[in-house]
Amino acid sequence: MNLALLGGAVLNGLVTGMLYALMGVGLSLILGLLNIPNFAHGVLYAIGAYVLVSASKAFGFLGGAVAALAVVAVLGALIEWGGVRRLYRVHPDYILLLTFGLSLILTEAIILVWGPVGITFQPPALLAGAVDLGVTTYPKYRLLVMVVTGALVLACYLFVTRTRWGAIIRAGIEDKDMAAALGINIRRVFTLTFAAGTGLAGLGGALMAPVRGLLPTMGLDILPFAFVVVVLGGLGSLPGAILAGLLVGVVQSLMTAIWAPGADASVFALMTLGIIARPQGLLGQR
Amino acid sequence: MKNVSRRRFLATTAAGTALLRAPALATAQAAELVMLGIWPFTGPFADVGPLLDRGMRLAIEEWGNKVLGRPIKYITRDSETKASAATRRMEEAIDSEGVKIVVGPWSSGVALACTEVSKRRKVFYYFSGGTEDIAGKRCHRYAFNWAASPYTAMHVVIDNYMKLNPTHKRWYLFVNDYAFGWSVEKYTREAGQRYGIEFAADRMPLGTREYSGFVSKAAAFKPDVLCLLNAGQDVIVSIREAHNFGLAPKVAIVNSWGIGTEDFLQLDPKTRENLWVGTNAYYGANTPVAKKMTEMYQAKYNAPPGYAPCAAYGMTRLTLRAIEKAKSAEPADIVRALENWETQDWPGRVWVNPKTHQTVRDYFLLRCKKSDQMKHQFDFADIVAVSGQPLMPDTINECKDIGAL
Repeated sequence: MNLALLGGAVLNGLVTGMLYALMGVGLSLILGLLNIPNFAHGVLYAIGAYVLVSASKAFGFLGGAVAALAVVAVLGALIEWGGVRRLYRVHPDYILLLTFGLSLILTEAIILVWGPVGITFQPPALLAGAVDLGVTTYPKYRLLVMVVTGALVLACYLFVTRTRWGAIIRAGIEDKDMAAALGINIRRVFTLTFAAGTGLAGLGGALMAPVRGLLPTMGLDILPFAFVVVVLGGLGSLPGAILAGLLVGVVQSLMTAIWAPGADASVFALMTLGIIARPQGLLGQR
Repeated sequence: MKNVSRRRFLATTAAGTALLRAPALATAQAAELVMLGIWPFTGPFADVGPLLDRGMRLAIEEWGNKVLGRPIKYITRDSETKASAATRRMEEAIDSEGVKIVVGPWSSGVALACTEVSKRRKVFYYFSGGTEDIAGKRCHRYAFNWAASPYTAMHVVIDNYMKLNPTHKRWYLFVNDYAFGWSVEKYTREAGQRYGIEFAADRMPLGTREYSGFVSKAAAFKPDVLCLLNAGQDVIVSIREAHNFGLAPKVAIVNSWGIGTEDFLQLDPKTRENLWVGTNAYYGANTPVAKKMTEMYQAKYNAPPGYAPCAAYGMTRLTLRAIEKAKSAEPADIVRALENWETQDWPGRVWVNPKTHQTVRDYFLLRCKKSDQMKHQFDFADIVAVSGQPLMPDTINECKDIGAL
C-alpha cells in the first residue's frame, strides 16, 4: 500500500470513526442513564438527514443542521415523555419493543413524507470539491465533518465530565435512586438526556447527508456499527464510545484498502476480540 | 428499573437488529389464477421492490385483472434479497396459494436459488438480471431471463463507448461480489480485450455504504473510466463519492448495468455529468409497447419508469401474452408458448432462445445530459446506442441441455 492510499484510508477511517463515536456517545448516554438499547437511534439519524434537506431550503445548510439537531432532540424528548417514561417500572424488554416499533413506524413515516426513492444532497458550494493534502487529495466537506464531529464529541465529553449538569448525569448513571433522594429531578434528567442523545444522532445524520445521501432505511446501515461501538467501548462509557468509534472506523477503512470483502466483517471480528479480551469493554465498568 | 448487563444487551441488540431487517409480508385478495411477484421489500434492494411491484401491477391492470377469462390474483412476497427467505416464501406461496407463475426477484444471487425451486416444483419462472447462469449453466425448462445476456450487454456498452472514446484505455472496476457482479465483470474484461483496455478492480459486498476507500484506490490508479459493476444504492453511493473526491466528472463514469431513471432521479445534474449508463430499459425507448407503458406509468406515478418497473411489466406482459397464445395457464404450456417465440414487446423485437431461455433483445447505452441540455425535468440522457449484438456464442453458453418439462 502506498502512502497516498494509506493516508486516504486513515482519513476515511477517522471521518467514519468520528461519526460512529457521535452515534455511540448518544447511544451510550441513553443506555448508561436509562438502561435502554434505543433501537430508534438509527431512524432518528435518518430523520436528521431528511430534516436537513427540507430545512436547508429555507435556512441554508447551517440552519438546516441546527434544525436537524433541534427537531430530532424534540422528537426524542417526546418519545421519552410520551412512551419510554411510562415503561420505566416494567421490564426493560418493553422499552426495547417500544423503540423497535417506533423505528418501523418512523421509517414508514419518512417514506410517506419524503418518498421511497433516495435523495442526493450536495455539500454547500464553499465546501464542494477536494483539497490536496500533499499525501492525498481529500474532499473538503469530509474534512469539515471530521473536525465538527470531533469537536462535538469532545464537547460532549467535557460537558459530562466537567459541568454541574454532567455531574448530575453521571450521578444518575451511577445510582438513580440516590440521585433522586438528593433532590435531583431525575425524570427531567432522563428526558433531557434522551433528547440530547437523539439530537446527536439527528445531527450525525444531517452531517453525513452530503457524504452518504439519503434513503429511508439509511438508519439500518449505521445502527449495527453504533451498537458495536457501545459494546466495544463499554456500556455507558463516553470515553469508551469515542475510542471504540475511532477504532472501528479506522479498522474498517484500512481493511477496505487491504481486503475489501472483509471490511464489515473486520468490525464484528474486532468486537468479538474485544469481548473475549475485555468483557466489560475497553473503558467500561459493567 | 433493572440494569442491563452487557451479555443481555448483546443478545437483545442482535435479535432486535435482525428483526428490524425482517420482512413485511403482503398478500392480495382471493382470485383464480395466482401470480407471485417475489420482490425485495426489505434488504439492500428495498427501494427497488415497490417499483417492481408497480410494474407487475400495471401489466395485470392492463389486462383488466384477468386472462383467458380467469381473474388474476396477484400476490407478493418479500425476497429480502436473501436466498433463504426468498425460497422459503416462494415455497410457502406455492403450497398455500397454489402459485404456478413466479416473477422476480431482483438480485441475481437470490434468483439462482429461486430457479431451483421453480425447477423442483415445476413452476413457471421469469427473472430479469445480470447473472448469465439462469440462461446458462443453471438453465432448465421452467426458467426464463428477460434482461439482455450480460455478454451482449457488456459488448454493447464497451463497443459503443470505445467508438466514441478510443483513447480511454484505463478502466477501474467496482464489482459487487456476487453472481451478478461476477458475470458482468467477466464479460466487461472479455469485451475490453479487443480495445487493449487495462483493467484494475475492487470487489465489495452488495450494500456497501462506505465507498471512500475504494474511490481513493481508484484515483491512485489514474483511470480514464470508473466502471460501476455494482447495483442498487451502491451505484448512487459510488457516483456521489467519486464526485466528492474530485475523481468525476474529470473521469467518465460508466455504469454498465444500471437502472436508469430511478438512479437519475436520485442524482442531481452535477453528479450526472459525464455519466454513461448501460441499461435494459429506458423510457425513451422507441417501441410502441414502451411508449404506451410510459404513458400509463407516468399518468399514475408522475415520473417515467426506470429499468425495474419496465422489467416487471415486460416479464408479466410477455407471460400473459404467452398464456393467451397457449390458451392455457399451465406452466408447461406457457413454457412451450414462449420457446422460440419471436414477437414485438417492450424492448421491440424479442426472440426467446429455446435452447437457453434467454430473451434475445436490445440493450441501451445512455449518456447523461448536462443540466442546460435538458428540455424537461425527466430529460436525463441521450440514447447513444441500441443494439442486441453480438449474441452470446453457443460455445460460450454453459446451458448445454435445458432438459425436459
